[in-house]
Amino acid sequence: MSNIIELKNVCKSFGETEVLHNIDLSIQEGEVVVVIGPSGSGKSTLIRCINCLELISSGELIVDTVRIPEERGRTRQIRLEVGMVFQQFNLFPHMTALENVAFGPCKARKMNKSKATDIARNLLSKVGLAEFENKLPGQLSGGQQQRVAIARALAVSPKVLLFDEPTSALDPEMIGEVLDVMKNIAKDHGMTMVVVTHEMGFAAQVGDRLIFMDDGRIVEEGKPSEVMKNPQSERLKDFLGHVKHH
Amino acid sequence: MGFEFSVITESLPALLAGAKLTWIITILGIVGGMICGILAGLGRIAGTDALGEEPHGIFKPITVAIRYLSGTYVETIRGTPIIVQAMFLYFAFPMLVKAVTDIERFRIEALTAAVITIIFNAGAYIAEIVRGSVISVNKGLLEAGMSLGISRFQLIVHVIGPIAFRRMIPPLGNQFIISLKDTSLFIVIGVGELTRQGQEIMASNFRALEIWLTVAIMYLIMTTVLAMSLRQIERKMKIF
Repeated sequence: MSNIIELKNVCKSFGETEVLHNIDLSIQEGEVVVVIGPSGSGKSTLIRCINCLELISSGELIVDTVRIPEERGRTRQIRLEVGMVFQQFNLFPHMTALENVAFGPCKARKMNKSKATDIARNLLSKVGLAEFENKLPGQLSGGQQQRVAIARALAVSPKVLLFDEPTSALDPEMIGEVLDVMKNIAKDHGMTMVVVTHEMGFAAQVGDRLIFMDDGRIVEEGKPSEVMKNPQSERLKDFLGHVKHH
Repeated sequence: MGFEFSVITESLPALLAGAKLTWIITILGIVGGMICGILAGLGRIAGTDALGEEPHGIFKPITVAIRYLSGTYVETIRGTPIIVQAMFLYFAFPMLVKAVTDIERFRIEALTAAVITIIFNAGAYIAEIVRGSVISVNKGLLEAGMSLGISRFQLIVHVIGPIAFRRMIPPLGNQFIISLKDTSLFIVIGVGELTRQGQEIMASNFRALEIWLTVAIMYLIMTTVLAMSLRQIERKMKIF
């Protein structure tokens, strides 16, 4: 299996503050990587760098053969292959669920409308929302909105999906439905996924690799069950203690 | 000298002709002002993260230039009275042309000067309305659009545009009505719009009450039509 994402010595600063320090990370095709860590540890910044929503300050990023920073003009190419699901869903409020999902294939992949709509219907039923296709985002619950957002990201058939705390803004009873959809994508599509989350159960069940970040560095990584069972660093022990209490 | 209804009926044709001219200047001004305002409003935030990600390479200095140009336009127009703008265009601009070129008999029709003035004047205020609405669009929605791999043009047209436009309608209503009423100032360059018609009739028969009451009602009807059309557009748009 080849690497679809590679970060070499990547740093990211916002003004004077460096939030990612010399990150080296390779992700293989089909791999599900779960990133955990305390808030402010740089996990969101890390995945936002992968689809160039944040531009790396130094180092090199290679996503599906596109090299950053040399090929900065090709960030759109990266984004076509790397979808993203956001904590706040970010559905287009003026479009129905169906229009939200059909938008990507129609505009980014230049598909004709009826074909894009077919894809969108198919995906909406896959995330269990077939009967909600004509609802506006404002008429859907948080869990439903996030499932539409996942369908929207899938619709452009990317090679990688990034999840930025996809369940953190949800009521507890809606977390399960979103995690189930994510599990299905990992299983059925063999999708490469990078998931920033606090859901340790999901990490153990679906993750191929668990990465623990703290203070802008990758502190520990490995098979999720092993990392969770035998944390090496004090910081991870401490963090796992906090997470388990909730 | 009581209230004479016949004064109104007698002056009605002239007043209606004036109202028609007011309406024409206003509509041209609104349409042109919208084009001007959208360009200048987007120009003022060109190259900022309000329109997607910041540009790099050669585009960066270009967007800086566009921002300064649009900013100068908006501040110049907002900073001078419309009546001065109209007089400058009608009286002073031909002299300026004469001074810097050899064209002797350059002049601008009063009506043309009025339309140009209202377009550029409304455009400057609409630019700020456009800018305000666009920067109020949630950045997460821009990121969602960008992460799908669409172009900046598609992002502006399909994501930012519709959301921002919904928020522009109330302040646009204000500006359209202000522009309509501002046409009355073109009395100073001799455009035969509604206020000037009223003034002329009044000067010959001294029936101030009847004439200005009629003029006021005619303005009120026209502003009501504008306000109601905008309400209609607002209602037709999806609620979000």
